[in-house]
Amino acid sequence: MRIQTTRFGELEIEESRILFFPQGILGFGDLKRYVILDHDREVPFKWMQAVDDPDVAFVVTDPQWIIPGYRVVIQQEVLAELKPRRVEDLIVLVILTIPPEAPEKATANLQGPIIVNVENRLAKQVVLVRQYTTRYPIAKSPYFRSPTSKEASPEANLQEPLPASQILVLQS
Amino acid sequence: MLILTRKPGEEICIGPDIRVRVLEIRGSQVRIGISAPKGIQVHRSEVYARILEENRAASQSTRQQVDRVALLWRRLQGKPDRSGGMP
Repeated sequence: MRIQTTRFGELEIEESRILFFPQGILGFGDLKRYVILDHDREVPFKWMQAVDDPDVAFVVTDPQWIIPGYRVVIQQEVLAELKPRRVEDLIVLVILTIPPEAPEKATANLQGPIIVNVENRLAKQVVLVRQYTTRYPIAKSPYFRSPTSKEASPEANLQEPLPASQILVLQS
Repeated sequence: MLILTRKPGEEICIGPDIRVRVLEIRGSQVRIGISAPKGIQVHRSEVYARILEENRAASQSTRQQVDRVALLWRRLQGKPDRSGGMP
């Protein structure tokens, strides 16, 4: 199907790629359908473009690029909306906020991650019970540091694929 | 907004499955107990407000901004600068 987007013009996308958020995301409750677009093959950032509003798109990334070991703890009933058959079908994405004049100060929202069931394409933004920050600087990522800087950590040389974000499902 | 006045110990029902009870009033603070089905997430509204605000700010991202972040990323990873600019 063809969709209109402010940033990318008109796009032809396969309907099988469309993610469906039964509740939309906070502040954008009416927008239920999104498609993930690559920004650039060489960077881990992608766009989550609203199918039904050309202006609305979010930069998202696998949180393992930003904070290795990030994991989410979610009650089983909260995930039930995504109808997961296996926890391995669920992936975690976080939304980035990029200050207009200071891209190096971009931050990731770790308190409200997006969980996607890759098998049925259902998705939701979950509000974590644990107090994470909504503004974790990407500059703190070990991958966002020069390999020659003294702050570089051994993990910075890891190649993809990254380990999947752990999702700990709390059974009731 | 529906406004009700309750005393400690009294309850409010939101739909058949959600109950809000005023437990105790201490000075300027109210202790509130909530029972809700497990699938319903209950949070202080500041938490939702922060996420909503962050979503709104995040929805303004432009390709140019992401290009700039991508450039920094690639440089720090030691990858070639494809724009042809100075390394």
